[in-house]
Amino acid sequence: MNRIFILTPLIVLLIICFFSFVYLLSGKDPNKPPSALLNKDVPIFESSSLYNSKDIIKTKDIKNKKTLINFFASWCSPCKIEHPLFFEIRKKYPELYLLGFNHKDPTSDAKKYLEDDGNPYDFVGVDSDGLIALDFGVFGLPETYLINEDGKIIYKFMGPITMDILKNEIEPLL
Amino acid sequence: MSSLVGFLSLVFAIGINFYLLLSKYIFKFQKQKFNLFIRFSSLLTLLSFFSLMYAYVVSDFSNYNVFQNSHSNKPLIYKISGTWGNHEGSMLLWLSILSIFSFFFSFTKNIDESFQRLTLMIQSSLHILFGLFIVFTSNPFLVNSILVNEGLGLNPILQDPGLAVHPPILYGGYVGYSIVFSIAIAGLFQNTDNEWLYVAKKWSLISWTFLTGGIALGSYWAYYELGWGGWWFWDPVENISLMPWIAGLALVHSLMMVRGEQAIKKWIVFLSILCFSLSVFGTFLVRSGILTSVHSFAADASRGIFILLIFFIVTGFGFLVFLLKEPKKSNALNLLFINKVSALVINNILMIIATLTILLGTIYPIIIEVLYNKRISVGGPYFNSTVIPIMIPGFLLMSIAPILSWQTNKINNSKKYVLAFIILSVLVLIQSYFLDFNTWGFVGLLLGFWIILASIIAIFSSYKIKINIKFFKIINPHVAHIGVGIAIVGITCSSVFQNELDFNLNEGDKFNVNGKTVLFEKIETTNQINFQSLRGKFLFDIGKNQSKEIEAGKNYYPVSKMITSEAGILHQGNKDIYFILGDQKNNEWFVKVLINPFVSFIWLGVIIMMYSGLIAVSRR
Repeated sequence: MNRIFILTPLIVLLIICFFSFVYLLSGKDPNKPPSALLNKDVPIFESSSLYNSKDIIKTKDIKNKKTLINFFASWCSPCKIEHPLFFEIRKKYPELYLLGFNHKDPTSDAKKYLEDDGNPYDFVGVDSDGLIALDFGVFGLPETYLINEDGKIIYKFMGPITMDILKNEIEPLL
Repeated sequence: MSSLVGFLSLVFAIGINFYLLLSKYIFKFQKQKFNLFIRFSSLLTLLSFFSLMYAYVVSDFSNYNVFQNSHSNKPLIYKISGTWGNHEGSMLLWLSILSIFSFFFSFTKNIDESFQRLTLMIQSSLHILFGLFIVFTSNPFLVNSILVNEGLGLNPILQDPGLAVHPPILYGGYVGYSIVFSIAIAGLFQNTDNEWLYVAKKWSLISWTFLTGGIALGSYWAYYELGWGGWWFWDPVENISLMPWIAGLALVHSLMMVRGEQAIKKWIVFLSILCFSLSVFGTFLVRSGILTSVHSFAADASRGIFILLIFFIVTGFGFLVFLLKEPKKSNALNLLFINKVSALVINNILMIIATLTILLGTIYPIIIEVLYNKRISVGGPYFNSTVIPIMIPGFLLMSIAPILSWQTNKINNSKKYVLAFIILSVLVLIQSYFLDFNTWGFVGLLLGFWIILASIIAIFSSYKIKINIKFFKIINPHVAHIGVGIAIVGITCSSVFQNELDFNLNEGDKFNVNGKTVLFEKIETTNQINFQSLRGKFLFDIGKNQSKEIEAGKNYYPVSKMITSEAGILHQGNKDIYFILGDQKNNEWFVKVLINPFVSFIWLGVIIMMYSGLIAVSRR
């Protein structure tokens, strides 16, 4: 009995070290919490096109196709960094539906941004008040979500995607 | 140049410690020589630290660390505090304080020579571990590869006089436990007489006093700088400083009580290892970036794994030695229904349960995230509803502990205490009847005042009042408990009876706070050396046509593009009136006013506790 009592600190130590070690190795960043929406249905949204306010996109419009949703804004400089990668994705996976949500941006700025840097998206939805981002649980721009054919979020990335992330994390899911 | 000096002396100091570890078996040198080497290595480590500080003071941007964390526009005091306002520098501070403790310990007289040497050898091993950590993962002496003439600034939230001294004092506590740890391990190995207990007592009191000061400074800083009106947020970083504090408190009490009982000795060794382990664990949690807070500088997995390894080695080694070399069993504890020993045992158990409860709440989110990939946070409600109820019986016991007897169940003058308690209960009950009744408020006030009252009765009925140093040493335990009582009253009042008022105001508006008129005079923006300040000026009417000016606002630090809030606090004897300037909307400013009754009692109580800690160091 006494022995067990003395052994307890060592056991607790092992447990703490084990979990901390796994946590550190998993490369988790405490600033980037995992999404609560992972493996859940896409939030219901409705948004008009940046170019034509009568052109509306709804949740059911992206059913039955793989969709990559990207939240961006003209004022967001990391978005500029990841922007060219969407053209690569576009080229490599023509079937993938690319949906961009323009977040809290004046329409003219957004249009100019897509004019200057090019528009890789199939559809650019306006999220001027940020309500759609709120439903998606967007933490900070840019954020990217991959939705499967059943309308479930299967991947989420916070921050600008890079070639490595595209190759190692997104492509295996496509 | 200073970087080179700093780096070389750091490496050289580590080398000496390696040499010292082998000294006993290979080089076989005398105690005198051994101690000289220890002191020399300590001085080298300090030289290394001061070289870094020098680089900060002269804004030597050829040092990458200075370039990253300093700016030539910063006032001198923040250049100096910038030395430890970043990960690398703060680890060097850690090591320097470890050295300082070894340095002073090497001067300890009246202890067994080989015991002292063994203790210092354990210190040397710790020095090597942390020294290598600095050299390999957190070198503050890296040379900047590009030529620059301006730095990138310091986290502006840390540009505060209170916070400038908070880390060194807090580390004095954390790192101070290293010497207690080393003493305990050496005690296990040598299993000699009880002399080491007195040495350990002195050092654990010093560490505990530093830790108390460090936590209080951090807490006071949070109170006036974060602008949330509270002073304790159960933030993970606060929790990890609280754990060694509570364990250290248990340790200090056990050390005072020990009369050679082996069971308590065993417990003391356990607590000594635990205190330092918790300190290293805290260092790990903060430095690895596993927790996000103002304290984590950068998330870096390799650093995290290195410190985790150190934590594992130190704690594992400590508890393994404890397992294999447990002190011999002999005379049993003199446990009675209610005597000093049983009160101590109960209190220690409660403190350890509280520590474990905090530990669980702190690491639970890590475990959950590893297992379920879900982010949760454990906050105030968990800690308030677990830790506080656990501590309450302890506080109750504490109020009478100093007057309990060692040998019998008898309490001297017990009638006096019972009578005092009844009168006090009635008074507090009447008070809470007239104010809004709140259970926590009632319990907290009763407990706080009871501790104060019982301690005062004990002083007056047990000792002859004299005004000399010896008398103050004798009544010291009671004084410490009065400090706790005062702090409890402060904590209870400021949290339970806090009052919040919200206003939307234009410049020139008058509003009412606690029956007093306050004028929102104007908004003023000024340019300071290293920031721009926005201040709302309030005139608080204190009667007799006099008013006090309060400034609340925000600072904007252009170099790091950060905004900090600066609360305006009007300290009155029994309450703080706490102004927070919010945002401007539709030409109106949002102003929040908090009335925090008796909040200054918390700081007063802490100061008394620290005073007692220092007095106790000098008492044998």
